[in-house]
Amino acid sequence: MMDDRFEERLREAAQDYHRPPDTPREEMWRRITAARAARQARIIVLRPALRWGLGIAAVLALGVAIGRWSATGSPPSTEVAGTGERTSAFVYQLAAAQYLTRTEALLTGFRAETRAGAPTAQFSIQARDLLCTTRLMLDSPAARDVRLKGLLEDLELVLAQIAQLRSSGDRDDVQLINQGLEQRSVLLRLRTTSPAGPGPARTQGAL
Amino acid sequence: MDEHELIARVRAGDGVAERALYDAHVDRVYRLAYRLAGDDDLAREFTQDTFIRAFERLGTFRSEAKLSTWLHAIATTVALNGLRKAKRFRQRETDLDEAAATSAGGRAAEPDLKRRLAQAIDGLADGYRAVFVMHDVEGYTHEEIGATLGIETGTSKAQLSRARAKLREALADFAGEWIS
Repeated sequence: MMDDRFEERLREAAQDYHRPPDTPREEMWRRITAARAARQARIIVLRPALRWGLGIAAVLALGVAIGRWSATGSPPSTEVAGTGERTSAFVYQLAAAQYLTRTEALLTGFRAETRAGAPTAQFSIQARDLLCTTRLMLDSPAARDVRLKGLLEDLELVLAQIAQLRSSGDRDDVQLINQGLEQRSVLLRLRTTSPAGPGPARTQGAL
Repeated sequence: MDEHELIARVRAGDGVAERALYDAHVDRVYRLAYRLAGDDDLAREFTQDTFIRAFERLGTFRSEAKLSTWLHAIATTVALNGLRKAKRFRQRETDLDEAAATSAGGRAAEPDLKRRLAQAIDGLADGYRAVFVMHDVEGYTHEEIGATLGIETGTSKAQLSRARAKLREALADFAGEWIS
């Protein structure tokens, strides 16, 4: 009984504890919108820097890949003239084949899995990897081919969209990506550009 | 517009829906932030931070929970973390003045009941204080407190009980006046 009375009095008296004034709605809203706009601006400013960083990482990765290939797969040759150029073209052809095969696998998987409602986190990670290579391919002699260049530009856009998906995978964003894939016939163009055959066989074919 | 529709529109980047969501929840979030902080600048800062985080993370919100519970969970996390930082900063300043402040003894020199109560609530551990403020001051149910603070309903009840016991102990010399 005495406990009840104490608790009742306590609750009454506690109403004055840090009693809040009227909510400063408009002022806080202005600050919230300003802070969000400032964050957005920082993200936009950071993007080119991020892109350069990814590009540099991709150059290093491809350099390592080429180095490994040169060490193990290059045929012994006594020819000097013309060999360097042929090797260079061959390396790009090899890199392009591997890249296109991986991208095709990713986009096919993405389309099938997301239609079934699967999470998108694994695809975002792979898309980030491939995005680096896409930029490198666009800056390489491989992009002299107008058809391939157009395809690479479309792939860069799609991969960037997938890379930016949140782990939960917003349904609307996923739907937009899949619509874009279909409208621009990205997978069809990718398949007609990729060498035929299963993944490892394609690479071996290129070699 | 129901809550699901409002959330969908905010996710789609609709500015009007963002404002509607803010208007629907800002009063309770600010009240809670103010009750915990006891300072207008801090309460504003915590409220603003809560909504900035909420708009950024709305994509991760799962609709099986209530939006208000999710928002209040962000608000209490922001407020309690912010207060810990502020307390560490203030502690250095108050330590120096404490001896002088406590030297004045005797019942006549003590502040009135509400001031003593405020000091006693301030002196509660963070978890007890949050539960006490949310339940006894702001009128949240134990279920809401549990969902907001990520604790069991029974834990919320136990913490409230301990908080009240500590306040009773701190206010022992006022007990006679209260019960009469």
